[in-house]
Amino acid sequence: MYSALCDRKSRVTSASGPPSSSRRAALQSLAFGAIVLAAGGTVALVRGRGYTVTRKRPLVSLAPWELAVVVHAARRIAAPDRPDRSIPSADDLDVAGFIDSYVARMSRPMRRDLSRAFLYLEQVAPITLGLRDRFTDLSADDQDRVLLALESSPLMLLRGAFAGIKSLVFMGYYRDPRTWSILGYDGPWVAKVPHAPGDAPP
Amino acid sequence: MHRGREMSGALTLKVDAVVVGTGAGGSIALRELARAGLSVVGLEEGGAHTFADFTQREDEMLPLLFQDMGGRTTSDMCIRVLQGRGVGGSTVHNTNLCKRTPDAILERWARTHAVVGAGPADMRPAFEQIEHELSVTPIPEASMNGNNTVLRDGVRALGWRGGMLSHNRVGCQKSGFCELGCAYDAKQNAAKVVVPEAILAGAEVYADVHADRVIVRAGRVVGVHGVLTGPDGEPRGELTVFARVVVLAGSAVGSAALALASNLPDPHGQLGQNLRLHPGGVVAGKFDRAIDAVRGIPQSYECTEHLSFEDSSDRRAWIVPAFAHPIGTASSLPGFGAPHMRAMRDYGHLAVLTAMVHDETRGRVTLDRDGRPSLDYELSPGDRDQLGRGLAACARLLFAAGAREVTIPAIVPRRLTRPSDLDRLDLRHADPRDFPLTAVHPMGTMCMGDDPARAVVRSTGEHHQVHGLFVLDGSLFPTSIGVPPQISIYAFALHLAPHAIAAAKG
Repeated sequence: MYSALCDRKSRVTSASGPPSSSRRAALQSLAFGAIVLAAGGTVALVRGRGYTVTRKRPLVSLAPWELAVVVHAARRIAAPDRPDRSIPSADDLDVAGFIDSYVARMSRPMRRDLSRAFLYLEQVAPITLGLRDRFTDLSADDQDRVLLALESSPLMLLRGAFAGIKSLVFMGYYRDPRTWSILGYDGPWVAKVPHAPGDAPP
Repeated sequence: MHRGREMSGALTLKVDAVVVGTGAGGSIALRELARAGLSVVGLEEGGAHTFADFTQREDEMLPLLFQDMGGRTTSDMCIRVLQGRGVGGSTVHNTNLCKRTPDAILERWARTHAVVGAGPADMRPAFEQIEHELSVTPIPEASMNGNNTVLRDGVRALGWRGGMLSHNRVGCQKSGFCELGCAYDAKQNAAKVVVPEAILAGAEVYADVHADRVIVRAGRVVGVHGVLTGPDGEPRGELTVFARVVVLAGSAVGSAALALASNLPDPHGQLGQNLRLHPGGVVAGKFDRAIDAVRGIPQSYECTEHLSFEDSSDRRAWIVPAFAHPIGTASSLPGFGAPHMRAMRDYGHLAVLTAMVHDETRGRVTLDRDGRPSLDYELSPGDRDQLGRGLAACARLLFAAGAREVTIPAIVPRRLTRPSDLDRLDLRHADPRDFPLTAVHPMGTMCMGDDPARAVVRSTGEHHQVHGLFVLDGSLFPTSIGVPPQISIYAFALHLAPHAIAAAKG
């Protein structure tokens, strides 16, 4: 699995020097996060329009702009490795729709944190790379640059934001049986070996 | 069994004892108090599920069985911390590993933490009883799956120390879905074995109740207040249970968080301190042959070559197989997009090992501004060194077992294509934040010991400052134990329950 990183430079030797304090880094991350989120909110006021959502089912947890971010992030995070129409896309599987329903089950603090991650990705992260457009208006290559920068950020808060979005996307993608042939995974056994008979606990 | 999601309004109960949490420690406390003829109520934050609820699907089981839907991390987001919720607690999703607290650890607690009456000889009857009740037996070598066979082959090729593990499972179908709850009811765990015995003895269990405050008056506990929650987690009502004895058994995170939220006396600043996690990183080996690691018993073989329990040991890495279902694998695999999917295609040919650190790091549990538990934990230099050594040992084992390629996943992955690459692998100073780390064994936070300046509870499990308040879960442990903690938690709850019974009887 982990040879995936073959497209990125790998190394065998150790990182140079001792790591910095993770607690200090976390505090720095929080401070930085507060600043960029405030900036993000300001930027969002200026360029926060133009999101339209056309769906059969109404959204249950995400705002229209959040859904747009999720749709674009899912297309890049779950991008196929070959031009093969048999590989379902994130759009085919409605990954964003799954995330909308999944997020509805989260606690309010978790939803708030996730919304901030979406805001950062959409409004602030592109600016940190010198890109003027918001994430959903970038080319696919530039969206990949933004996501890569988040994943490898020295700030754990931003890495965590990426990890959270990525986990949701892959949950929406690999939950679908249409993706299992990619892995050679044959899915849950309960369809083949039914639940044990007997009395349920009281 | 009562379910908060089916109740509403304000309910008040008066009983002899109330137990918060129904995992390994809470279930035993509940049962022993009930068997002693006491009226006892158990409160469980999560739901009451049966094996028929376990669909073997990650997207459905993570929200059902795990705290924060499986998304809990340390506050610096460096370590993912998987903890159970629901009747049975983490015993519902664990991989059934059964190891006693090492004698060296018990002796150390007596020697350096003023723990009285819990030496190896004192604890032996409790271990034996628990192992009997949970049908603990060694896994036959013939039942090893491909991933465990790789570890065994590596251990044998290197001449290292290793062996089969013991489990509490009967009627196992070897489906490989242990971590998502057993659909075949083969786990002899708290939910299947102990809680039903407690209910038969007269205990009542209320699921979907978030205990938010321990009620204390004049230095004596008088009860617990909780919130009834619906399936969406939203409040539906409240439950107040008045009792002479309150037992906290909601895990090293949950119990400490409840104690902090209750503003319990803490004159020496020990509450929430001393958090240990057993953090672990993974190493993957790619084989020409199919490994099919996702099927079969996930963890049946261990490598103990780099593990010892003596004070200040420099061998504190325990190695076992570790594999994940598709979503877990995709989430922990660095990268995204086309390279990520290419890597996922190797799924069936990978063996994955984990090095778990028997940690000396002292973290702490606090509350964030939303009142949620916050886990502050920064790996000490010594533990970073152990993690690096453990990961390197995993890589060596995989090559010894025939791996064609070995990768240590990280922000910048370490990719090894031949065994000689190991000579250049130096992870001693690597930044642990670069590796995807996971912990499933929180311990400490309300440590036991007879010195009130260094411990939150006495050796009996009773709080030093609050009479009638007991702690009977992994919070008790003054240090890391270096082995999976479920048997230790069951056994300590059984060993200390008579003290709670005596207090409840007045």
